[in-house]
Amino acid sequence: MSRPALARPALALWYALVVAFLFAPILTSVIYSFNLGALNKQTSLFTGFTVDWYGAAWNNLQIRRAVWTSVVAAFWAALFAVLIGTALGFALVRHPNPNVRRLLAGLTYILLIVPETVIGVSLLLFYAVTAVPLSLATLIAGITPLAISVTALIVRAGVLTLDRRLEEAGADLGANRWQVLWYIVLPHLAPAVTAGALMSYVFSFDNLVVSTFLTTPSVNTLPVYLYGSLQYGPSPAVYAAATAVFAFTLLLVGLAGLFFRLIGKRRATLQSR
Amino acid sequence: MSALSLNRPADDPRIAGRASPRRATRRASDQLFAAVPALWLFVFFIAPLGFTVAFSFGHADFGGVRLGFTLDNYAKALSGFYLEAFLRTIRFAVTGCALCLAVAYPTAYFIARHAGRFRQVALLLVLVPYFTSFLIRVMSWQILLARGGPIEAVLNTLHLHVGPLDVLDTQTAVFIGLVYAYLPIAIIPLYVVLERIPATLVEASRDLGASSWQTFVHVILPLSRPGIATTVLLTGVPMLGELVIPSLLGGDKGVLMGQAISSQYIDSQNYALGSAMAVLVLLAIAVMVALLARLTRGFAEVSA
Repeated sequence: MSRPALARPALALWYALVVAFLFAPILTSVIYSFNLGALNKQTSLFTGFTVDWYGAAWNNLQIRRAVWTSVVAAFWAALFAVLIGTALGFALVRHPNPNVRRLLAGLTYILLIVPETVIGVSLLLFYAVTAVPLSLATLIAGITPLAISVTALIVRAGVLTLDRRLEEAGADLGANRWQVLWYIVLPHLAPAVTAGALMSYVFSFDNLVVSTFLTTPSVNTLPVYLYGSLQYGPSPAVYAAATAVFAFTLLLVGLAGLFFRLIGKRRATLQSR
Repeated sequence: MSALSLNRPADDPRIAGRASPRRATRRASDQLFAAVPALWLFVFFIAPLGFTVAFSFGHADFGGVRLGFTLDNYAKALSGFYLEAFLRTIRFAVTGCALCLAVAYPTAYFIARHAGRFRQVALLLVLVPYFTSFLIRVMSWQILLARGGPIEAVLNTLHLHVGPLDVLDTQTAVFIGLVYAYLPIAIIPLYVVLERIPATLVEASRDLGASSWQTFVHVILPLSRPGIATTVLLTGVPMLGELVIPSLLGGDKGVLMGQAISSQYIDSQNYALGSAMAVLVLLAIAVMVALLARLTRGFAEVSA
């Protein structure tokens, strides 16, 4: 067999192994949420099947409160990310001054690469020095920059595909700049904005490192609660809670995907008429 | 930041800066869209980093910091235990990033050039982990790698390993965790560049008599340099501050910078020393970015 003919199955095998590698811990966490465990603790040996942990997670007030805090924090972070990140994504491509664009791009990328530990301790210091007490609001403000940067990059990709002639046509027909943005630009960016919102929500919900430094005993998110529970050995109930959240996330993503599929289909039928 | 750009031709300032009939309102909206994010990110990102830099030069008092100018914190951060942690962190980030690249490149190559009409699905599968809890996945690695755990069972059944598996709480486990956590973000930039390499270039190389290996080394690999740089940036750099993975998988030996910084803030309350260590990490990042910018020099011009 010649080399190119061999390369393809080898690469396919490699890809399959990588997917297995990526899915192994996810599967493990789902399977072990049904593990009986020992003495209310998770064990690496599967000791028996039970669904009780789901009830236990639901009845655990600390877990329930942590999930709710995470939901609220992620919601606000996603909202700010959409408002500010969309503006940033637009400015990254369209700001008339190339130096401003470069500066904004630098800011956006630096956010993605500065380790979260450094961001977290800096924010802790910042709030301590400015004497702002830690609360849900400071937590949300702390996790928004990351969400803004992710949203901005997704929206930027959308802005790059915009057809400027449509905007010019709108302007020629008498629309002012805000009308053009609202009626022409925004609908075209809707998929990118939604994707940005979804990613922001998911990332903010899952944020651990920055949140570790900004949470207090009264404001505790799910990942921070889980991280704390590691000290005395986590109960399989935390695996159950995480699995339930994962199922909910998949549902959310699935619904968003379905929504855009339907819109895409409607658009296609409208255009074919 | 040429190392970071994915080289979209539409970024061309000549296209983006064109005049419009309604210049005035347009300018207002443009300025607003730039000013609001810049202000927000300044307050909640740049200013805090500034505080860290300022504190790194301060005098450490019991539980507090007196502002001033001293290099004591840096002297301490660059000696003994902390220097070891710093050098170890750099070694871990470089190795982890190289491993990540080695695993990600063939994967991205397969998705971009061999997956055919399943390309989207193939890419999506790789991204699924992002929709689950990061912490739970790392905790699951603890289960998988534990003595008597599932991986030991599988390896023993396949006769690839005999006896108990002693991987958890070692460097190997940290590397597995690092590659695992950063793999999806490593694949995407590589996929983006590999997908854009025109098939005609590959054909031309073949027509000129190159073997497929030569085509790969002399055509595809050099053209994927910007993707490699972005991958290194998005994996190697954040690894310099990684906190959770070494804590959960690496045991209590071989502390990395992320853990050292965090413990200065949370446990020892020595903000000055913690800040100095954070600034050292930022400096290491700056060096890495500068090196990567060199690697991709010339690419922005080529694609425009």
